[in-house]
Amino acid sequence: MRNLRNILDGIAPHFTGEGRLQRLYPLYEMLDTMLYTPGEVTSRAPHIRDAVDMKRSMVTVILALFPALLFGAWNTGHQHDPLAGWGTNFAVGLQALLPVLFVSYLVGGFWEVLFAVIRRHEINEGFLVTGMLYALILPPAVPLWMTALGISFGVVIGKEVTGGTGYNIFNPALVARAFVFFAYPSEMSGDAVWYLPDAVSAATPLAVAASVDGASGIRLLGEAGYTLQEMFWGTVPGSFAETSVAAIALGAVLLAWTKIASWRIMAGGLLGMSVLALIGNAFASSFTNPMLALSPMHHLVMGSFAFGLVFMATDPVSAAQTDRGRWIYGFGIGALVVLIRVINPAFAEGTMLAILLGNAFSPMIDYGVLRANISRRRRGYAKQ
Amino acid sequence: MSVITIRKGHTLRIGGVPESSIISLQPVGRVAVSPGDFYGMKPKLLVKVGDEVKKGTPLFADKRFGDVVVTSPAGGRVSEVLLGDRRRLEKIIIEIAAAGEEAERFPACSLGECRMLEPAAIRSTLLRSGLWPVLRQRPFSIIADPQGSPKAVFVSAMSTAPFAPSVSRGLEGREHFFQAGLFLLGRLTGVPVHLSVSADETAQMLVKAEGVALHRFRGPHPAGNVGIQIHHIAPIRHRDDVAWYLLPRDVARIGELFLTGELPTDILVALGGEALSKRCHVRTRQGILLEDLLSGNDVRQPARLISGDVLTGTMSGRTDGLGFYDEVVSVIPESHRRDFLGWLLPGRKRYSASNLFLSGLYANKGTRLDTSMNGSRRVIIPFGNIESVLPMDILPTWLLKMIIARDIDEMERLGIYECDPEDFALCSFVDASKMEISAIIREGLDYMQQNG
Repeated sequence: MRNLRNILDGIAPHFTGEGRLQRLYPLYEMLDTMLYTPGEVTSRAPHIRDAVDMKRSMVTVILALFPALLFGAWNTGHQHDPLAGWGTNFAVGLQALLPVLFVSYLVGGFWEVLFAVIRRHEINEGFLVTGMLYALILPPAVPLWMTALGISFGVVIGKEVTGGTGYNIFNPALVARAFVFFAYPSEMSGDAVWYLPDAVSAATPLAVAASVDGASGIRLLGEAGYTLQEMFWGTVPGSFAETSVAAIALGAVLLAWTKIASWRIMAGGLLGMSVLALIGNAFASSFTNPMLALSPMHHLVMGSFAFGLVFMATDPVSAAQTDRGRWIYGFGIGALVVLIRVINPAFAEGTMLAILLGNAFSPMIDYGVLRANISRRRRGYAKQ
Repeated sequence: MSVITIRKGHTLRIGGVPESSIISLQPVGRVAVSPGDFYGMKPKLLVKVGDEVKKGTPLFADKRFGDVVVTSPAGGRVSEVLLGDRRRLEKIIIEIAAAGEEAERFPACSLGECRMLEPAAIRSTLLRSGLWPVLRQRPFSIIADPQGSPKAVFVSAMSTAPFAPSVSRGLEGREHFFQAGLFLLGRLTGVPVHLSVSADETAQMLVKAEGVALHRFRGPHPAGNVGIQIHHIAPIRHRDDVAWYLLPRDVARIGELFLTGELPTDILVALGGEALSKRCHVRTRQGILLEDLLSGNDVRQPARLISGDVLTGTMSGRTDGLGFYDEVVSVIPESHRRDFLGWLLPGRKRYSASNLFLSGLYANKGTRLDTSMNGSRRVIIPFGNIESVLPMDILPTWLLKMIIARDIDEMERLGIYECDPEDFALCSFVDASKMEISAIIREGLDYMQQNG
């Protein structure tokens, strides 16, 4: 261990000051602080600092993603061949997931480093989360070149052009996903994309529920053999890690307990989704739209609602940044998911668009909260 | 009486808490006075090396208001005047007379007479004695303007800062001085004197104090900070909406000055921190050098000497004097250690107000807290941890951004005048992107002072 430290200290002069590789300092800083905590001390009050830092915060998100990732790997194999053993399923799933994850990290990481070097700032740990989130919301049949193009678009257009980490308007992983969705509609729609090649494919629950006009979505799901339990545990087709609400809930508990993700956004989202779904239920008998019949429980366990709400909507940068704003923002996303799913026939799934729309509105929500804070202060002052 | 409950904040569980025993320790030979203790002061030197001074003889004046002087805490001879860059006055060292230490005399009166004194007489004695600078004002936390009229005076008798001595212990035996000081402050300003105590305070001199509006607070640090209390009692509305504040020990010193006619220099200081072998309370004299204060104490090196508490104090050397407003001296381990994969390990020994480490399950028991930054500087990612330790109806992230952008109007609207670096110290402490939030607040206040 001492040797490693010595090597790092030995090469440090090349990257600092007048060193020949000083342009690549961000790379050195990344490696150095990833291996060892930085040895810097405080220079002014407060003289002590909390142990929390960006690395710890981001790695906690990764940790929270693990249940969904592991389950997703197994489920991808399971959907491919339900009769093979769980070991085979897991291996097959990993075989599909790991290359996607690797390409996402490699290509996205390249852009991240390139911009850090050009702009001369540190490499931000947030990319560890973006790269993984993006891979996990891709359908299993996605080609690797498409993965690479998507993450490039997400990192460069979704994040770097507006100033990089901390300055992005939209969640970069979602921008990447949206790019793939809209740039390659023929490859990215239909049923087969949710399965690995050569599998017998079936429609996803959301596609099933929307399939026949005039029927009840719940009945359609039942006829296709999708039960609430199945959809809750996640043994249904879908993106790599979005299917299991149980696994996602584990991550949600960790994120909310560590306060890395705002519980207000999650609670607001659940509330918004439930209210809109219940309103839909009330009108289910008067219209032929089969999706109107779906209960809040169905909306929760189907598609990417749970994953999006827990891991994507809660990105602290692109979400609303005030506590009151977070409730409004979460509620809006939850409501929009149901609106898009139910009312808009073009999209079976609404989570991605709802969150992107939420991102677009979050500065406005915060602006409102800010003005309310200012006028509350003014009223308080007047009373004195 | 209603209690104002503060929910946001964090009381540090830092090792090395001072024991309750009080020892007496006097300076050995010298005391130091430093203009740097008074924020924003432009000092004008009034003595030269070799001058004989008494206790209470002016050493330097503030060029902003000429009648504000800082006086010598000891009788003797000026032995050194240290100048820094551009001949800025840094420190004056007084050699204490070996025998027959002399003191300036000021008009004395009885407790009853105190209540009748004319405001002008009180002001003049406070100014001449050099005790005036104990009065500071918000906004800006500078010495109170002697010609100014505050809307209220605030005294926080609730200590939540790390290692801070208990207020009632510090005032034991000085109850009548404290009460006289409160009367004098009321006479001097003619406005309400707000005394804030902890919800479970029982000391009679505090809860039965006369001539004050009593407030009770409950909650974690920074509930005891006077800035937080002002925010909840009568917030600062604009730059001319001035509130004065002072420490309870200085209220008692004002009373003592008028009752005895001599500048009181006796103070209680708490010595704390894990790098010290003997943590205790010390009765000593204003201006004592830290090396005298730490005599008989083994300091485990490497250590950082701080005049003040670990959240707001000043990094000091052994030959520096105790800060004018400081009630605590903290000595904590200095640490340049680099942990292998520190961000990945469970972190049983790492102190955090968050739940991100294993130590969170043990309420931070058995963790270490030293001078390490514990991370590298990053862009702002608004996780909400700054907000969780600021018990004010203020949106800190926006305020910080507006300060950095130097947007005067927006800073005002977001309540910059209510803010003070010490109230934001915990924000710096918990920030994951390791911003110097206290320093940014100070920058904002400085900018407002110059341009607002």
